[in-house]
Amino acid sequence: MADGFYLLQAAADSLPAYRDFPLIGSRTAVWIAAEIHLMFAAFVLGVPMFAVVTELIGIVGKEQRYDRLSKEFTRLLLVAYSATAIWGAVLTFFLATLYPRFFAYLTAIFGPSMWAYVGLFFLESFTLYLYYYGWDRWKHGRAKWGHWTLGILLNVWGTIVMFIANSWLTYMMSPPRDVTPQTAPASITLWHAMANATWMPINVHRLIANVVFGGAIVGAYASYRFLAAKTDEERAHYDWMGYVGNFIAISALIVLPFAGYWLGREIYQYDQSMGITMMGGFMSWLWVIQAFLIAVLFLAGNYYLWVGMGRIPGAERFRPYTKWLLAILVLGAIVWGTPHTMIADSRELAAMGGSHHPFLGALGVMSAKNTAVNLMILTTFLSFLMYRRANIRPVVPWARTGTLVQAGMFALAAAVVLFFGIRGYFVEAIVRIGFSVYQVLAVLSCIVFVTVIDVVMARGAQSLGAIRWGQMPPRSQYALFILAVTFTWLMGLMGFARSGIRQHWHVWQVMQDTTQYAATPALGYAAIMISICVLIFLSLVAFIFWLGGLAEKSTFVPEREAQHVGH
Amino acid sequence: MWATNLKIVGVVLGTLALYTLIANKIPQVQSEVPRALALGADVTPEQLVRAGEQVFNGIGGCTTCHGLGTRAPNLLTDEKGAGPIGARCGKRETGKSCKAYLYESLTQPGAFVVTGYEPIMPDMSRTLSPQQIWAVIAFLESQSGTVDVGASDIPAGNQGGLTPGASPGNSGAPRLANGNTDPMTLFHAAGCVGCHKIGAEGGAIGPDLTHIGARASATYIRESILDPGAKIAKGFERFAGIMPKTFGDQMTAAQLEALVRFLASRK
Repeated sequence: MADGFYLLQAAADSLPAYRDFPLIGSRTAVWIAAEIHLMFAAFVLGVPMFAVVTELIGIVGKEQRYDRLSKEFTRLLLVAYSATAIWGAVLTFFLATLYPRFFAYLTAIFGPSMWAYVGLFFLESFTLYLYYYGWDRWKHGRAKWGHWTLGILLNVWGTIVMFIANSWLTYMMSPPRDVTPQTAPASITLWHAMANATWMPINVHRLIANVVFGGAIVGAYASYRFLAAKTDEERAHYDWMGYVGNFIAISALIVLPFAGYWLGREIYQYDQSMGITMMGGFMSWLWVIQAFLIAVLFLAGNYYLWVGMGRIPGAERFRPYTKWLLAILVLGAIVWGTPHTMIADSRELAAMGGSHHPFLGALGVMSAKNTAVNLMILTTFLSFLMYRRANIRPVVPWARTGTLVQAGMFALAAAVVLFFGIRGYFVEAIVRIGFSVYQVLAVLSCIVFVTVIDVVMARGAQSLGAIRWGQMPPRSQYALFILAVTFTWLMGLMGFARSGIRQHWHVWQVMQDTTQYAATPALGYAAIMISICVLIFLSLVAFIFWLGGLAEKSTFVPEREAQHVGH
Repeated sequence: MWATNLKIVGVVLGTLALYTLIANKIPQVQSEVPRALALGADVTPEQLVRAGEQVFNGIGGCTTCHGLGTRAPNLLTDEKGAGPIGARCGKRETGKSCKAYLYESLTQPGAFVVTGYEPIMPDMSRTLSPQQIWAVIAFLESQSGTVDVGASDIPAGNQGGLTPGASPGNSGAPRLANGNTDPMTLFHAAGCVGCHKIGAEGGAIGPDLTHIGARASATYIRESILDPGAKIAKGFERFAGIMPKTFGDQMTAAQLEALVRFLASRK
């Protein structure tokens, strides 16, 4: 095998380093192919995760509608799968033909993992076909559990495929420190290259982000079907589906910043200058844009919930509070988006009168930002809780005490967040960084304990009326579209951040990009590229969903039909 | 249904247009590729200053930390009443000229760390050519100081090339402690004292080395100097990556062994 790799390396040495792509250039061609492939891949990896969860809820709770929902998720997967493979092939061919020497370098190191990748892709595809086409055949008894196991397997193959692909791109970001420009690629062992500093943080971050993304796209799909629905039953079904998609997306989004924090920490530990370039260098403005996008996500997600409470009997009693929740979210978003350590030249520094803006400098520090985002997460959780409690009245004797304890937990969590936020202004940076852990722990503890109390308290609760699924104003559905577009755009932006911090290196400080496109573009250009990619992706998604609709009628089943599943 | 479709398309396009517009309205900074400086043997201080400003604001990435106040000292504006860097660089280290101090700061950033800051600056000789480094020094000297960098400082044979990692050559800048093998001299010259405590002096970023010989062998100490990331002392994981990996290139074998023996003997 080693001989083969030396041959590959010899071939690589004799290859032209680069070729250009007509009209748009090689960088743009690869950028579009990689981005759209990634978006489809995120969708087909994220959706199976909650497809198996909803199927399990259907089996355990014996509720047919969850089983049908799961099948509908999977039907979306089927049509998205081929698009993922096509764009993957486009990306591979572009890399092999436009960056031949760099591609040969990667194959010399990662060859065996690429073969494993292909094998797993086959397994994943056939498991998906079995999972979907076997749905009605294996719907009872043990066969149903066997079918559910197929869903688990689908996730396992998909996750391994993603981990393998992640190892290639994280190697480009953070090659092991003993790899130098003089190191022959064939002499680098596969595992040494795979297990690089940012591999596992990226794996975890993408795993969660895929769930968020999948939920958002499913939500947009449901909202389209809701708007196009011709019957009340259909409208009710897609209203519910949109709610589930949004719930999944926002719930996973709340965890995502913690995975992002871990990734950032690993980047700093791997190379300080890379971390500083990312957070305070030419990319510093990117985080202001990110803050704006996440503010849109929080606002749109909460808005959807508040509007949704209009179809829940008993929700009126919570309506007066929404304006205060909105105020906290808006204030939090403003603080989070406040610039601080912007890259500035001597003229800008002179105009500012110092290193920081006299007023914004105080709001732009991490103490203020961490406080803002944690309060926004708490506020969003409170919205969910009100939504959940809207049409029930607990009857357990300790209901009042339980509610007071819940309120106390919210107050305590907010107090901890505020205390460490303010205290952060009076301590060294290294101590301040540690405070964010306490803030996060307070918020997560509050979410966990309040949820547990709420679940126990809701047992046997008096119903104030059933949720009137389908009675949602159309404007709420446009909020779901904004969520999907924003999540997709945010994914493109973060991809640019991750890739861009390598600057003019194919492989950080090992293999330099010497093309005319080596400079990392400014945010304005990147934004145009991201928007083009998002537009292409959403257009294709709309097209293949439409095709899917032509091939098969919707799988939604009215409540009066089969009531039981899994037994 | 067409009206609904049009509304959806409008919402999607409107959202994309808004994000694109905002991203184009903020300051646009492109990360440039390092380019060779074409400075001849007759280069004037003015030309060096102009070239240095470009490196400082561009590929050097200096503005990322310097001038922002929290991560590293301001260089272009006043720092605690001492004026811009050109006015204070000659007073930073006793007996060291402004030029020698700035050269040391760029190529051995751990040698002297200003009180109140962490040793996070990378060795710029890894990413900038000697010409670029000297141009930056000239630019920094020009900030309320006197520019005394000239063509004679720039190493011969590097007049047009971009060779990051090349040795500084003829510069007036000293090799590490001028080849001195006295361990404590080395300990200061290499900047170890900035992070490691030994006896009554030193920082607390890295492990206390006062009794290092009692808990580590000479082999371990040697490895830690040459490859600091190989093993991270317990309790100091968060500082992993800060210690420079360049001591193997900066010290002679005699210096390294003298330092290792000295530390191993501290029981």
